[in-house]
Amino acid sequence: MIHDYLILSVILFCLGILGVITRRNVFTVFMSIELMLNAANLAFIVFSRVHESMDGHVLAMMVMAVAAAEAALALAVVILLHKHKGKLDTNVFSLLKG
Amino acid sequence: MEHSANYLGLIPLLPLTGALVIGLLHMMTCTGKPLPEKLYSTLACIGPLLSFFMALVVFFHLRDMAPEDRFLSHIAFTWFAIGDLHVDMGFLADPLSALMLIFVSFIGSLIHIYSIGYMAGDENYGKFFAYLNLFLGSMLILVLGNGPVVMFVGWEGVGLCSYLLISFYTKDTDNVLAGNKAFIVNRIGDLGFVLGMSFLFWAIGSGGFDYLSLKENTHLLTPGIGFAVCLLLFVGACGKSAQIPLYVWLPDAMAGPTPVSALIHAATMVTAGVYMVARFSFIYAHVPAAGTIVAWVGILTALLSAIFGMFQKDIKKILAYSTVSQLGYMFAGVGLAAYSAGIFHVFTHAFFKALLFLGAGSVIYALHHQQDIWKMGGLKKKMPTTYATMLIGALALAGCPPFSGFFSKDEILFSALASGHPGIWFIGVTVAGMTAYYTFRMIFLVFHGKPRDQEAYDHAHEPPPVMTVPLIILAAGAAFAGVLNLPGIFGGHMSVSHWLAPSLVEHHPHASVWVELFAMLASIAAVVVGITIAYKKFSQGAEEPVFTGFAKFGYHKFYVDEIYNAVFVQPYKAIGSLISRIFEPNVTDIHVKLSTWIYKKCGKGFKVLQVGYVRVYAIYMVIGLSLMSFFLSQSIN
Repeated sequence: MIHDYLILSVILFCLGILGVITRRNVFTVFMSIELMLNAANLAFIVFSRVHESMDGHVLAMMVMAVAAAEAALALAVVILLHKHKGKLDTNVFSLLKG
Repeated sequence: MEHSANYLGLIPLLPLTGALVIGLLHMMTCTGKPLPEKLYSTLACIGPLLSFFMALVVFFHLRDMAPEDRFLSHIAFTWFAIGDLHVDMGFLADPLSALMLIFVSFIGSLIHIYSIGYMAGDENYGKFFAYLNLFLGSMLILVLGNGPVVMFVGWEGVGLCSYLLISFYTKDTDNVLAGNKAFIVNRIGDLGFVLGMSFLFWAIGSGGFDYLSLKENTHLLTPGIGFAVCLLLFVGACGKSAQIPLYVWLPDAMAGPTPVSALIHAATMVTAGVYMVARFSFIYAHVPAAGTIVAWVGILTALLSAIFGMFQKDIKKILAYSTVSQLGYMFAGVGLAAYSAGIFHVFTHAFFKALLFLGAGSVIYALHHQQDIWKMGGLKKKMPTTYATMLIGALALAGCPPFSGFFSKDEILFSALASGHPGIWFIGVTVAGMTAYYTFRMIFLVFHGKPRDQEAYDHAHEPPPVMTVPLIILAAGAAFAGVLNLPGIFGGHMSVSHWLAPSLVEHHPHASVWVELFAMLASIAAVVVGITIAYKKFSQGAEEPVFTGFAKFGYHKFYVDEIYNAVFVQPYKAIGSLISRIFEPNVTDIHVKLSTWIYKKCGKGFKVLQVGYVRVYAIYMVIGLSLMSFFLSQSIN
């Protein structure tokens, strides 16, 4: 039973990684990151259940709060990026190319 | 038996603190509105005056002790200790340093007071006094140090301050060059001092590296090493005290403000070399051959610079060459193991030379920076105080009895004759005559006859009391300081020699009264001849002659500067440019260029990884984290 939840968590995390790596739209990348955070949350909750302790719940709540804060910041950055180039394609932003 | 005296450290510390405070005040306000001059001058004079007061305390403290116990010492802290070399920041006051201490701080204080008037209105008033205080503080460290290393601190300090003060008027390139010259020539001497010090440590330093321990261990010194140490230390003294071949910086040092010249020539700096030789008298007494070389170099310097002095037309240059010449006498004295005579000449010379320089400063001040004696004349009526005091100074410098210079110079000449060096004695007497001639040539041209430049003459006036009072005090010193060491022939007791005896290793030559009388009469005759010739030639308003033949040769200082330039400076420059054009790009730079080349190549190789797309960096992160997790899981199992 626990294994199933953990495998779901891993699948969600890998989907997130795939999204970050393959997608070019800034919003999609951002959503993929959120997906990874929630996959981690799921794992926390599962282990909390296993160990019958509230620690995992506390951490999950914390991650959600951080994610919310991060969303506020990240969306502002996205708006600035759009203002700057008029596009949301990550390939456009490659100033650090060596 | 040594007694400890905590206040010794304060003597150099007071002027140094003054230098720090004044320097910081000047630095903070130099861009905005300057602080009032009164503030600076008050701050500047406190330190030297207190030091003088404490020097007197030291003197009376020493006087109350038994003659063989006259040592006061104070160890402030351990400076460094490496292996055998244990060096304390320590101070030692014995009769020799106490005598130096008193006249250095006394004349230094008078020059500070005089500078209040001379430097009034200068835009860098604060900076000047900061340097002046630093100069005096360094000299006091030099005099008070309890070993060669502490002495070297002061030694370098006065070298630095002379550089800063000689090139004080930085707007003129010549002044800056003169400062550079002084500094570089001094560095050559310093090399000798450092080498001498190292040899000394290598030979006998393991038992302690301060004067008292060295003195006890002198018998361990082999004659060869002792000779080398003496000569190397003398090279250092040549640099600082302007002897052949390193005297060239001192006449150029006239570029600085006149009080600085007075300080360099009288109280600080140039006397350091003589003091050093006297300080190391225990080593010089060990190798008399080295002393003879010192004496000959000294007397030849005296002769050479007296020749130069006879043909100069800049009032300060004349005095500069007279200083070099008098320093030559002092070295002749200390070289012939007549240390107390040499130090006594340092002492009297400090008074009359400071007096003459400050008097010359008054003349220059009155004539709006005119220094050419062929444009002066008849100033006797306009500046009576300056005239009277300078006349006393000139008589003392010429060695005219009963002024101070006569006794000290005569003591040296008598030692030369009595110790069996008639050659040195004869040159010394000749130089005495020449000294009298060029000194009175200057006095007659400046103060007697008719004014040569009527406009400047009309504007000339006596300087303010802050400048004339130090002149009067110094004149009293120049006139009567000789009484302190009155020889037995005049019913005196040689008090200074007796006072210095515990610090020095000295042999007093014995000679009959007739020899003493003969030496005295000979030098008086030389002085009279010198003054008479000067009177005949210059007292009735002579005009500037056109130099030809030997006189032209002398006026151009035998072209020594030009020879040095051709023999040392230009080849050095040529080697420098050769190195910068051939050696450096092909040999040394290759290493630097190779390392930059390697970094460039590596950078180009790694550049391909930096693609600039954010998702690729995400891939790197995933790879890195995966590897990390993998290894972590491995280590757990």
